[in-house]
Amino acid sequence: MLEKAGIPTVPVITDEFTSTAREMADLWGVPEFRFVTMPHPLSNLSTAELEQRANELVDKVIELLQTGQPE
Amino acid sequence: MIKLQMSNQIDQKTNETNSIAANGDVCIPISASEQIEICFARGWTDGLPVVPANRSLVNAMLDACGLHADDVVATMPSRKVAVTAEKVAINAVMAGCKPEYMPVVVAAVKGLAVPEFVLHHVASGLSGASIMVIVNGPIAKKLGINSSNNIFGPGVRANATIGRTLRLILLHCLRYTPGVSDRAVMGNPGKYTCCIAEHEEDHPWKPWHVEQGFKPTDSTVTLIAVTSMMQIWNDVGHEQLMKCFGDALSFLGSIAIVEQTPGTIILCGEHAQMLRASGWSKDRIREQIVAHSGRTIAELKRAGRVDGEITAADENAVHFAMDAAERLMLICAGSRVGTLSTVIPGWSMENGAGRTPPILIQER
Repeated sequence: MLEKAGIPTVPVITDEFTSTAREMADLWGVPEFRFVTMPHPLSNLSTAELEQRANELVDKVIELLQTGQPE
Repeated sequence: MIKLQMSNQIDQKTNETNSIAANGDVCIPISASEQIEICFARGWTDGLPVVPANRSLVNAMLDACGLHADDVVATMPSRKVAVTAEKVAINAVMAGCKPEYMPVVVAAVKGLAVPEFVLHHVASGLSGASIMVIVNGPIAKKLGINSSNNIFGPGVRANATIGRTLRLILLHCLRYTPGVSDRAVMGNPGKYTCCIAEHEEDHPWKPWHVEQGFKPTDSTVTLIAVTSMMQIWNDVGHEQLMKCFGDALSFLGSIAIVEQTPGTIILCGEHAQMLRASGWSKDRIREQIVAHSGRTIAELKRAGRVDGEITAADENAVHFAMDAAERLMLICAGSRVGTLSTVIPGWSMENGAGRTPPILIQER
């Protein structure tokens, strides 16, 4: 929805939710929609671990922002 | 072309001769058990056998509620789906409904689309809620919907099949596929079916739908999302009962306690009688129950439900399981014999979701 409103979007999900995210993308008519994935789980990470996780993801997020989502 | 043809009656024996359809297809009648297996093979099931739907059975469902096949019963923007009356009728047949149940089913499907219910969260979330259908008004008696003994148990066709229809619609029309778009960690048995009627005859107060502004002669459906159900035993007195209800609403691991999502209590006959004899108003009872649902911030921190170091003030600061007592839903149902009620704590962290207002059932 954000993409359709012209706002570049990078959805970040844990890998366990890939099939769910793909199903939603299919349902919304954007089967090629791209996601950045990271290992599951997330909710039990400490603040320091979360920061480390975020640092690891930055490059992937920037890359997807630069290439963009499929039309 | 040879096509398999569903026979008109599920107990009809296979004909020995083939028939030719109007378009020239050669149709081979197949047995009821084969039809059921085809439904399994195509994923048209909740895991139990379904009644194979055919045109005459579906039309009977549509006739019973006065809807046309293409009429849209509910639109679900999050799933990009409009559920038509025909789809509702097909799933009602598959679930085993009688046609006269259709007005209740249609109202329940409308409930799924009520925005504040937040169906997508209810149906897809990790907490794996079932959707309880609560029926009020004269239609419950007319259709024989159980409001009494063994209220959440098996044995009554109307309860079993109305609730099951809703789940089949989630599976077949809204594509809430377990493991893909339904990410329940545990789920619960009520996801197969969960439908009750309120017991209005010996109610200590106004029935739920009347309290919400409907006439006693109206019939309604209310949906609530349910994850946990706890039975509460107490045969001593109403003040002690309030403590037991409050405790059950506020167990430390409750997904609802931090965000104060409102809960529901299903009062059995003897507890309803006990509360009637107390002379307390419904509002006072709600306030008393919520007043007994407190946990100290220190307890919540020790249990990891609230972050941070425990301070001296935390030992006396109390957090209640609900932020507004008037949102505690009190329903009378279950056996008239025995002192066991059911507490259903709030279902998720999303305060306000997972509950519809009563929805009027429109009968023909």
